[in-house]
Amino acid sequence: MIDAILNTFTVSGITWLFVTLCCYAISVKVNLFFKGHPASHPLVITVSLVGLALLLSNMSVPQYQKSVSLLHWLLGPVTVALALPIFKQWQKLKHYGWRLFASIAAGGVLAPLLAWFTLYALDSPVALQLTILTKSITTPLAMEATAQIGGIPALAAVFVITTGIVGAVVSNAVFLCCRVTSPEAQGIALGTVAHAVGTAKAIHMGEEVTAMATLGLCINGLFTAFILPLVFSMGI
Amino acid sequence: MLQLKNTFIGAFAILLAYYGGMFLSASLSLPIPGPLLGLVLLLSLLFVFPSIEKHTTLVAQPLLKHMSVLFVPAVLGVGIYWRDIEANALALFIAIGGTTALSLGLTAWVANKLMNKKTL
Repeated sequence: MIDAILNTFTVSGITWLFVTLCCYAISVKVNLFFKGHPASHPLVITVSLVGLALLLSNMSVPQYQKSVSLLHWLLGPVTVALALPIFKQWQKLKHYGWRLFASIAAGGVLAPLLAWFTLYALDSPVALQLTILTKSITTPLAMEATAQIGGIPALAAVFVITTGIVGAVVSNAVFLCCRVTSPEAQGIALGTVAHAVGTAKAIHMGEEVTAMATLGLCINGLFTAFILPLVFSMGI
Repeated sequence: MLQLKNTFIGAFAILLAYYGGMFLSASLSLPIPGPLLGLVLLLSLLFVFPSIEKHTTLVAQPLLKHMSVLFVPAVLGVGIYWRDIEANALALFIAIGGTTALSLGLTAWVANKLMNKKTL
């Protein structure tokens, strides 16, 4: 934390933090303009804008990462902050009990295994196979878990966001195809498989869907990030 | 002024849980990431002292709402792996595009079966 703060109070630290936050503010506006469509996710736009700024100013990515290390450091506390939505939905969690856990577990196991199997069957490198295992959990947890099991955290962030966007974009068609109309089931699927991006989509679908998506997001993230490193540390 | 004090208490609770988790993970050399243990610590703190929910919300809510911006440095670092992505483009396309839709459908279907019984 001290390093991150010291890096921030340098000329390049303040400049790039300001540039990044400005780009983010613009992306949020753009996202609002497209009525929160998942494909206009603020991260996609912010990364493009900051990337362009780096290119124009001849700044290298490692230098940039050092300048804004405060942002990267905050990923730790934001992971901790995920405790709050779990706490707020605790009554719902108790109400649905094991049915909720079983539904989330189904998605939490299926999503990474199907993705992993695809990469395994098509002979992709092991590092990618490991990284894709975390694709359905929220980015800060995915990056932590990926680092623990020997994957690539930066790639994990990209996989996770892409998964979220794909999930949110196809969700309406998928629910229609599978004839799933219950808001609870839709919420659980969105939160479990498409994490925070799916949950953002759920906000447009009603309060019940959002509450269940938040639970799916938190429970699946928590369990996956606990179980994956444990399984790998046992030498499988 | 009160708002400021409450924000400080909230930030303190989150940092306490964060560093507590980091410390536990490192000192017991657990395979579980420190921030994840921090999450569990904060959740326990909230159950023991429900009154700090208000304070933590002040700090946690804006952090959670704008967490996208925190991934920017990491995602920009993905350039180094561009060759890996290109070489495995088809596999990744199926793994992320195809299986996500499939998992979404299957999860919704399972949840639908399980949850309907509860409401009846």
